[in-house]
Amino acid sequence: MIIELTVNGRPCSADVDQELRLIDFLRDNLDLKSVREGCGAGECGACTVLLNRKPVCSCLMPAFQAAGADVLTVEGLESGGRLDVVQQAFLDRGAVQCGFCTPGMILTARALLWENPRPTRAEIRRALAGNICRCTGFQPIVEAVEAAAAGPGE
Amino acid sequence: MAAGYRHVGRDVPRPDGPDKVRGRYPYLADEIPSGALRGSVVLSAKANAVVVKIDVSRALRLPGVVVLTPQDAPRVKYNGGEWFPGQDDHPDETVLTGHARHVGDRIALVLAPDKKTSLEARGLLAVEYEDLPPVADLLEAADKAGLLHEDGVASFPGKIEYGDPDKAFAEAFRVEEDVVSTQKIHHAAMEPHAVLALPRPGGVVEIRTPCQIMFGVQHVCARVLGLPLSRVRVLKTPMGGSFGGKQEAVLEPLCAWAALRTGKPVFIGLSREETILSTRTRAASLIRVRTALDRDGRIAGRKITALLDGGAYLTGSRKVLMAMGKKVPRLYKIPALRFEGEVVRTSTTPAGACRGYGSPQIHAAAEIHADLLCRRLGLDPVAFRLDNLVDPGGRDPSGAADLGNARIKECLETGLAAFGWDDRKEPESCGRLRRGAGFACCTHGNGYFKTVYHDESGMSLRLLEDGSAVLRSGVHELGNDAAGCLAQIAAEELGIPPGLVTVLEGDTLANSYDIGCQASRGVFVMGECARLAAAEAAAILLREAEKLMGGPVRLDGGTVRLLGPPPAGASAAGGAGALPLGECVRLVEMKNAAAVEAHVRHSPRFNPASYGVHFVGLAVDTLSGLVKIERYLAVHDVGLAVNPQGVRGQIYGGVQMGLGMALTEELAYDSLGRPMARNFDKYHLVNAPDMPDVEVILVERGEEGGPYGAKSIGEIATVPTAPAVANAVNRALGTSITTFPFSPARIVASLAELGGGKTW
Repeated sequence: MIIELTVNGRPCSADVDQELRLIDFLRDNLDLKSVREGCGAGECGACTVLLNRKPVCSCLMPAFQAAGADVLTVEGLESGGRLDVVQQAFLDRGAVQCGFCTPGMILTARALLWENPRPTRAEIRRALAGNICRCTGFQPIVEAVEAAAAGPGE
Repeated sequence: MAAGYRHVGRDVPRPDGPDKVRGRYPYLADEIPSGALRGSVVLSAKANAVVVKIDVSRALRLPGVVVLTPQDAPRVKYNGGEWFPGQDDHPDETVLTGHARHVGDRIALVLAPDKKTSLEARGLLAVEYEDLPPVADLLEAADKAGLLHEDGVASFPGKIEYGDPDKAFAEAFRVEEDVVSTQKIHHAAMEPHAVLALPRPGGVVEIRTPCQIMFGVQHVCARVLGLPLSRVRVLKTPMGGSFGGKQEAVLEPLCAWAALRTGKPVFIGLSREETILSTRTRAASLIRVRTALDRDGRIAGRKITALLDGGAYLTGSRKVLMAMGKKVPRLYKIPALRFEGEVVRTSTTPAGACRGYGSPQIHAAAEIHADLLCRRLGLDPVAFRLDNLVDPGGRDPSGAADLGNARIKECLETGLAAFGWDDRKEPESCGRLRRGAGFACCTHGNGYFKTVYHDESGMSLRLLEDGSAVLRSGVHELGNDAAGCLAQIAAEELGIPPGLVTVLEGDTLANSYDIGCQASRGVFVMGECARLAAAEAAAILLREAEKLMGGPVRLDGGTVRLLGPPPAGASAAGGAGALPLGECVRLVEMKNAAAVEAHVRHSPRFNPASYGVHFVGLAVDTLSGLVKIERYLAVHDVGLAVNPQGVRGQIYGGVQMGLGMALTEELAYDSLGRPMARNFDKYHLVNAPDMPDVEVILVERGEEGGPYGAKSIGEIATVPTAPAVANAVNRALGTSITTFPFSPARIVASLAELGGGKTW
């Protein structure tokens, strides 16, 4: 079926198989390799993308359900060659180790800060509950989100 | 802490960070060459069964599908845990097997032009099994070994003994004993296993893999394929975490064989379920610790028996067993020891290397035992440890390397004060909640010096024509910033910014030999090798520059300077008394016909011990059995933190992994040997809301033999966590739980046992 959607600010249209998952559409059809499969079951959050500014597990979602939606992957977060404040805070706070969970983690945090620009530490931890990291113990990630929230903002 | 250094001791940003936050760091699955066949491994659905027939007819009707079965495969048996030719670890694994020895064993490989067809074809295979009884029980495994393996080996024993333990026990004032069991654990690197193999001209097979020991992969694949080492090129690719799960050769031999057999590139990328079922695990263990004590509460002798669950294949598990025993004499002063262990094979996913390599298991046993024996004898657990812990400059009575600047007592005393132990040590009740605190001590190594394995690192460093540098190393970046750490060290030695040093990762045909990223040798051995290579390159530069500039020179922050005034009649080179580094390198190349390139081979002469103590404050809900970590402090003797932010990152992650071992993670099997957890819905990793904030104190007192005094942290960071939690739970509740994980059901059952049925 033909779907039309916006991905990282660019309109696109594609003929997708009904069974095609959003993650495969983004990775294989659009070459957006930041969207990574860690479990294929919606448990780890590595494949998180933002759909109309809300985090979703793209491994659980058929691509056709993204029709008409605004999809954001981490490739679309940078603007004018400048990293998003969340990306920069992840670098500054040592929130990146192996990097596999990083794009999903950054997008979940980005969505949180759009929704709640000054979250508490507990709110940050709760928002990240569906994103698993095996390297960092989450602490530098939580600190990065706090730092991004405390920054000058948009 | 690191006074006088330009870069060492500072939070230098990791070189791969910017790509990682942009999602551009290319993991293997992100760069599959077009034309590569996609492999789907057919995994056994049975725990122990003979594969009678695989009907491939329907699968072969799909376009371009090839199915490889055990009949096609090399019969060569290998041990994926070997990393050096001649190690002679018992070989019992084949690339494909007609006798499936665990759910997830590799019984066939489907190849197809694309992933969808590959998976579809796999689904069309009909496998006929002849069931054999599963061998699931650790205690029966040796007796039933013949059901699982035809090699006639019941178990793989190992022993470490010194002093006279029998005498110590005969003369003991008291003898105390505990039995602790630890569970099978999934490494849970977020990147599932993947490998790509490509046939190359000249009969070379190129294997691209996110691995930890490229020369080990080369060795195992060469053995299986019957190729000389020189025709097996292993390239270590960007890796999304390992924790030991990608340390051994797991999928590489199968993939390399399939590529040579088909003459085409083959990519195998596992799903999470396949990674859990068919790769490696932390070995489960059953450990009996007995301690002979004198009248003063000092350890007179210790006897340990350890039974290790190797899973379906031996892999590196006997090495893990011996690594467990070798930790014992390095934490407490133990005048006499007998450590006897045995690895048995069971019809479960093979065990193997896992962060700490046996250290979390043996310390779980020893540290729970320490607390419980103190309780039974009315001893203070702090005093008991201070009386028995090793001292700086101590020796290892088993004959292994000296302990070095062993700062475990300082870690403990610093931690006790910072944690406020005296105010927290008594348990408190608050309704159905019980609060308690606990701690555990531990030690870990720094490489292989004075073990049965040799330790060797080779690197070369070339100064380039603009003053930057390339370090060709055998390092494997695992996510821990291993490569960045080497760049930081080389930059320190050269006096240039770390960003100007590019560290080349592993390539078995291009790099000098290196034992690999294992045994906590990264910073202590490889870091020192990088320092030596940079120092040697700087020495070559200065020697050549002296000829150019007409007098003794020094290297000063990217500039080569004459020490004295320019000699009368000096040539143009350095006439002003100073040359930018890059210009100096160019002139050396052109005028002196020399390269500023150093090659260094480093075999360490030290293997000190690293130490750590973790403190936990927690609350147990006596109704639900749930444990909430309320306070966490980790104190580590790291010698010197080359990159403090990186060191803290290792500790935070180690605690997350250790809390999982303590409370939530377990690969359990039912009576038919079927895994009960196949994905993260049933395998519970500690997530952000359940992770406490972790306070970190680094004890930096230096260490001989490592770069600038640094020693290991990545593995030891996870070692004391589980016993610290265990001790806190047992202190809070008055229980004596010694079986991991401390799950809600186990906690509630133990309380019920203790309180005659009423838990709160």
